[in-house]
Amino acid sequence: MSVIPGVVAINTFREAVRDRVLYNLIFFALMMIGAAILVGQISIGIERMVIINLGLSAISIFGIIMAIFIGVGLVYKEMEKRTLYSLLSKPIRRWEFLVGKFAGLLLTLVVNTALMTLGLGAALYFVSRKFERADATILVAVYFILLELALVTALALFFSCFTSPMLSTLYTLGIYVAGVFAPGILSVSQFTSNWGLAAVTRFIYYLLPNFHNFGVIAAAAHGDAVPLALIWHNTVYALLYVILILVASSAVFSGRNLK
Amino acid sequence: MSKRNQNKNHTRAMLLALVAVPALFAVCAALQMRIDSDTLLMNQDKEELLLQSGSLLKKLSLGYEPLLADIYWTRVVQYYGARARKQGATYESLWSLLDITTTLDPKLMIAYRFGAVFLAERPPGGPGEAELAVELVKRGIAENPDEWRLYQDLGFLYSIHLKDYKKAAEAYLEGSKNPNAQVWMKVMAARVAETGNDLETSRLIWTGVYSSTNDQQVRRTALQHIHSLDAAQGLKRLDESSEEYWRKFGRFPTSIQELRDTGLVGGSLQDPAGYPYVMGPNGVPQLDPKSPIVLDSDQAAEQLR
Repeated sequence: MSVIPGVVAINTFREAVRDRVLYNLIFFALMMIGAAILVGQISIGIERMVIINLGLSAISIFGIIMAIFIGVGLVYKEMEKRTLYSLLSKPIRRWEFLVGKFAGLLLTLVVNTALMTLGLGAALYFVSRKFERADATILVAVYFILLELALVTALALFFSCFTSPMLSTLYTLGIYVAGVFAPGILSVSQFTSNWGLAAVTRFIYYLLPNFHNFGVIAAAAHGDAVPLALIWHNTVYALLYVILILVASSAVFSGRNLK
Repeated sequence: MSKRNQNKNHTRAMLLALVAVPALFAVCAALQMRIDSDTLLMNQDKEELLLQSGSLLKKLSLGYEPLLADIYWTRVVQYYGARARKQGATYESLWSLLDITTTLDPKLMIAYRFGAVFLAERPPGGPGEAELAVELVKRGIAENPDEWRLYQDLGFLYSIHLKDYKKAAEAYLEGSKNPNAQVWMKVMAARVAETGNDLETSRLIWTGVYSSTNDQQVRRTALQHIHSLDAAQGLKRLDESSEEYWRKFGRFPTSIQELRDTGLVGGSLQDPAGYPYVMGPNGVPQLDPKSPIVLDSDQAAEQLR
């Protein structure tokens, strides 16, 4: 198996670290410290819930911002700086370059998310002085956020292959928002009496990456268990969807004239 | 890499994409169906409204409150539509959603008018919160005093749901003072004050609701009530004939056909859904058990009497 994607991934990760991408962790840490101190003063009985909701939402939002804004520049920046040309003159296949870029950004996001999760854990411990068995759901929620980030990264990379960062951001964000509201699209098909519209909305529902699948923050905050089947199905779903987008990205990128 | 090699790689990548992408989409769609059933088991869509304060949402909307109100109204319709007529359905968030919608856009007439119909509808068709519905319509009147239709809705709520015919007549009369109001508002005021909740008056009120809207959900509800009232009227007519039969022959008829043979009733003896009426014990006519029509609870009680 080729080691090239791994080399590209490590370099992409190093570049992100050099670009001070992980500095967002300082903001996250300050926010969690502030929340942990303040929440005890201004609310009764929901301190843990607020910390979990706030922490998981921040992990998700920060991650999505990073995935989109870094992802849309992954290929475009290399072309702008003309570093891609010297890279592709070496025995590197274009798909290997893409997979490496994807894996590099995902690695950055995993490290970022892991550190934020530690921060959330610390804030939670500060508020309640103990961990409960039900807190395991928080880790499931974090895992789902990572699956979500993998999908967003793949989408951003896909658009980055053929359009400008500005448009890539808009497209990726648009698909993300549509994917979050996917059940709303499905409900249109259930309420309309127009069979054509019902068929189209059902088709769109199944076509879009369904980001609603990964929303278990409320369950984590309430300590509700997440079924194993959902974890398994979401994992396979995200994996297949990422492969799908990477295959499409490779097809688009392989046809680009880089002269 | 030579141009030829690049073309070859591109063709290979395109072929792979043409086969793999649709196949993966199909697998993802199948998987999505499984995930849908997983999340259904998890019952993630519990009745939960994170932000219950309309005024807070108004501040957070950054000046886009009319758009947000439209979105919330759409949520109301979807929320109600997903539950209406489902046994055991609860409507815990309906009032909050309507409250937020009308706070965000106090001029959104549709939210007051149809929202009140949704709120007042008895279970399983709705939460049966007629008092809240009245509060909603009164709030609408305070914000939109020139809308005579809101008085019509208020009269409707008082007469049909709260059986307060005095207040209903007052509402119709107050609305009729508006120069744009239809003439029949005065007729309704007089009629409700005079006859209360007889079947014909109820039918007139529901017909008014039916003809005043294009909304399918409200029209469906109104039509169900009209059919129910028509069926009650048909049963009442048969019941009177059955009493007549008893007076004539000293026993109750055992079938509708028996009643028809004596010439005491004639014409179509079917309910509005097309199912023939059937004769129950002691000569009490009933709806066919297969009929989709459900009598309103007070009509059923009247029938029982």
